Amino acid sequence: MDILRLNHLMDRRGFLKKGMQTGALVVSYPLWKHFAGKETDALGATEAVGQSALDKDTLRKLLEACLSRGGEFAEVYYERTVTNSLSLDEDKITTATRGLDMGVGFRVIQGEKTGYAFSDDLDFARLKEAAETAALIASGAVQQKPATFTPLSPPSYYLVKVSPDTIASKEKAALLIKGNAVARAFDKRITQVGVGFYDINKRILIANSEGLYAEDTQTLSRFGVNCAALEGTQRSMGYESKSGSFGFEHYDLALAEEFGRKAAEMAIRLLPAEDAPAGEFPIVVAAGYGGIFFHEAIGHSLEGDGIRKKTSCFWDRLGQSIASPVVTLADDGTYKGGWGSVNVDDEGCVGKDTVLIDKGTCAAFIEDKLNAKLMKAKQTGNGRRQSYQFYPIPRMTNTYLHAGESKPEDIIKSIDKGLFISKIGGGNVSPTTGRFVFSVTEGYMIEGGKVAQPLKGIMLMGSGQDVLKNISMVGNDLLIIGGGTCGKDGQSKPVGFGNPTLKVDKITIGGKKA
Amino acid sequence: MDFKKIGEDVIKRAAGYGADEAEAVIENVKEFNVNVRKGEVETLQKSVSKGLGLRVYINKALGFSYTSDLSPESLDETVKKTVDLAKITESKPWQGLPEFGPQPLADLDIYDAEMAAVPDDKKIAIAKEVERIAMAQDKRITNTEGGSFSNTEREAGLFNSKGISYVLRETSCGFSAYVIAGEGDNMQGGGWSSYKRFYKELAPVEDVAKKAAQRAVEMLGAKPVETKKVPVIFDRYAAPSFWMGILFALNGDAVFRKTTFMTEMLEKPIASPLITLNDDATKPRFIGSVPFDGEGNVTRKITVVDKGVLQTFYYDSQTARKAGVKVHTMARRYGYRGGPSAGFLCIIVENGKDDPAALFKDVKEGLLVTGMRGAGTDTTTGAFSVGCSGFWIVDGAKAFPVDGVTLGGTTLEILKAIDMVANDLDLRGGLNSPSFRVAEITVGGKKA
Repeated sequence: MDILRLNHLMDRRGFLKKGMQTGALVVSYPLWKHFAGKETDALGATEAVGQSALDKDTLRKLLEACLSRGGEFAEVYYERTVTNSLSLDEDKITTATRGLDMGVGFRVIQGEKTGYAFSDDLDFARLKEAAETAALIASGAVQQKPATFTPLSPPSYYLVKVSPDTIASKEKAALLIKGNAVARAFDKRITQVGVGFYDINKRILIANSEGLYAEDTQTLSRFGVNCAALEGTQRSMGYESKSGSFGFEHYDLALAEEFGRKAAEMAIRLLPAEDAPAGEFPIVVAAGYGGIFFHEAIGHSLEGDGIRKKTSCFWDRLGQSIASPVVTLADDGTYKGGWGSVNVDDEGCVGKDTVLIDKGTCAAFIEDKLNAKLMKAKQTGNGRRQSYQFYPIPRMTNTYLHAGESKPEDIIKSIDKGLFISKIGGGNVSPTTGRFVFSVTEGYMIEGGKVAQPLKGIMLMGSGQDVLKNISMVGNDLLIIGGGTCGKDGQSKPVGFGNPTLKVDKITIGGKKA
Repeated sequence: MDFKKIGEDVIKRAAGYGADEAEAVIENVKEFNVNVRKGEVETLQKSVSKGLGLRVYINKALGFSYTSDLSPESLDETVKKTVDLAKITESKPWQGLPEFGPQPLADLDIYDAEMAAVPDDKKIAIAKEVERIAMAQDKRITNTEGGSFSNTEREAGLFNSKGISYVLRETSCGFSAYVIAGEGDNMQGGGWSSYKRFYKELAPVEDVAKKAAQRAVEMLGAKPVETKKVPVIFDRYAAPSFWMGILFALNGDAVFRKTTFMTEMLEKPIASPLITLNDDATKPRFIGSVPFDGEGNVTRKITVVDKGVLQTFYYDSQTARKAGVKVHTMARRYGYRGGPSAGFLCIIVENGKDDPAALFKDVKEGLLVTGMRGAGTDTTTGAFSVGCSGFWIVDGAKAFPVDGVTLGGTTLEILKAIDMVANDLDLRGGLNSPSFRVAEITVGGKKA
């Protein structure tokens, strides 16, 4: 969504970068707005350009420059990213976009201090200059020499046989055209259809003064259909999408047809939506999208930076009960094909599956290298950055609630009057207070143990701590999905999430009807 | 870097490869950013980044690409590939560059030539000072996210095949503090900042520090209230979030597609007659001002809502052509990585007549909103629903802090129920509003 320049009042997450937005800087869009695709012939993008520009000898020289003022630790991060998107709007393929981002970031750590600089010019003199700028965080004589490199060869968690970057745009266009046709034909009240295919192909190289040397090729792809429906003055939206570290073999015309139909069905279902009630209710959250909730309302408060600085509400809760015993929450960078999965994170730590909350007990935090070191904890493969222009910070990968034992239909039956939350659009949280809000894009009343009429304008509000204690039933139907973009400290990053059907005994609903 | 030379050359090359129309944006951004925490530098970042974005049209079909590599070989490759992309897409009659060519640009005085001379040590000292003073304000302040200082110098060029060749230099700088009050389950964070185009215009460090501390401390012990309908006052610093959702609903293309609840509202009352709202990115030296928009149109003051009556939707040149309307177009652009899209540039809601204190006067029981989580308005349905924090008002005075409540209603009903607007406008960014009061909104809290 285009964001107007706001007054500088948001939480500190996103506070600094946003504060500096004057003329026009990057703001995250809904994934489709600007997505495009590529023609292999036009855009052959997987060429290994740049790779040769940073051989091991060059890397060593740059690390030496980083350590020239006495820093304890230095790291070089090289990135070359090609982004393609193709989108269909108002019955036509209207946008084809390609982007190239390439550069090198230098990080120097001295105690708790971090110096960072980057260059998008790969000329050695410019790189060295940037390395020497990062070095300035320390002041003194050389203390460390870079160690000999030991190349890392981690297992792969990506499901990519056919790189989407090598697919002719005609093949991608066929999916878009199919999704559009099916959605439009579904019902004549469908007035608008948008379809997009997007892929991002990132090649990274990380080398540090401790001898770490890791390379990775990260491919993410996404296909989705959006619909708008109109009847008289009643309006509604519907959407369906798939996103993950998937090769093009995961997309075909049958999928496009299914998504076109599901997006249209959702919009039509929601046309007669009534105003949501306000007040405290029990809710059932459907499998999948509820994971956004665990990401925002709990995950952020378990990130190592807030824990170390004691600014998170959970900082002193390790080993203590913080949730109902039916809650087991994981952050799993190793989930196959996940939108947030990593073979290595952006500082070269291999992807890990970390149980954050084990049957209600706070079991681990989300750590990057710096926070793990300062907290004397283990790195959890969560050191992530948006691009070479940023230093890594603790970020989630795929965050999901483990499956429980209840049948989804029994969970719904257990509520006499409450809400059924099917899809959540997005939300935000203050990690300090744990307070969150989420806007619901698809929700219904539950009456007498049955899902009843659709609702509009539902807002969920509460605190992560309270909700964790109020989860009373967890279903056996875990669903992990992708497509989320999380913003923190001005950096946006793809994250996956998931949950089984679950029941929260009470939560505040903001609606119109008092 | 010679922007004009690169930009004009890229436009020529695009024509050479077969583009009917072409437009390039080039950006070079120098940034300094320091974060301190507990008196020590935590991160220090200095950077220069650059890039070019190119859109071309062949027979009104679009190709777009961007690159951070401005070497001559890479640029030539980018131009060639962008032209190829335009062969993949389909044409639409309304697509293409704007009709207007070069126009005289106002000198808005948005570049601070003295900023480059401010030493890094001074910037670091300000970041430390604002945190230190904020921490020292109150015993209940227990922790800190730190202080920061950052500044940006940006050079941006816009070039197209209609003869536009603009280069803009702008600066901005600012500092902030964010501190935490209380302990355990009763922690509250509060922050404040000052951002300006000119270093010398920054707010006094003490003022920012005190405000940050106050915002944390005054929220200690915040609790939800029971669900009820009451008068709601939106503080001037929370009000921008409220307007943001409403402004999105005025997108001319969404109106054309009938996907916004504002579709039928042109020239009709959408708000109380107390509301006049302008888009005005022309105020000299202001951080929200720019001389030209994302497509190269000159900026102008545009009245969007006049005494409650909706005067215009917003369009860029393509969506205006598509909808067949004649308006002053406004396009936003987010760096070189994307094309232009319709959007307001700098919104200012005009001051009302009332002293801010007068808004509280006859409120027996009500809510003062000082923080909003989200924008509230669903642009499709017009339903209004948002989480917020602030203060409960009893007998015209702030009684206790409130958090974890929601506001629910219908956007148009809420806009029309605005019964007082204060005269306390404080221009801070791209969206500015005085405080105002709504006669009644459903506040959702504890019990159903």
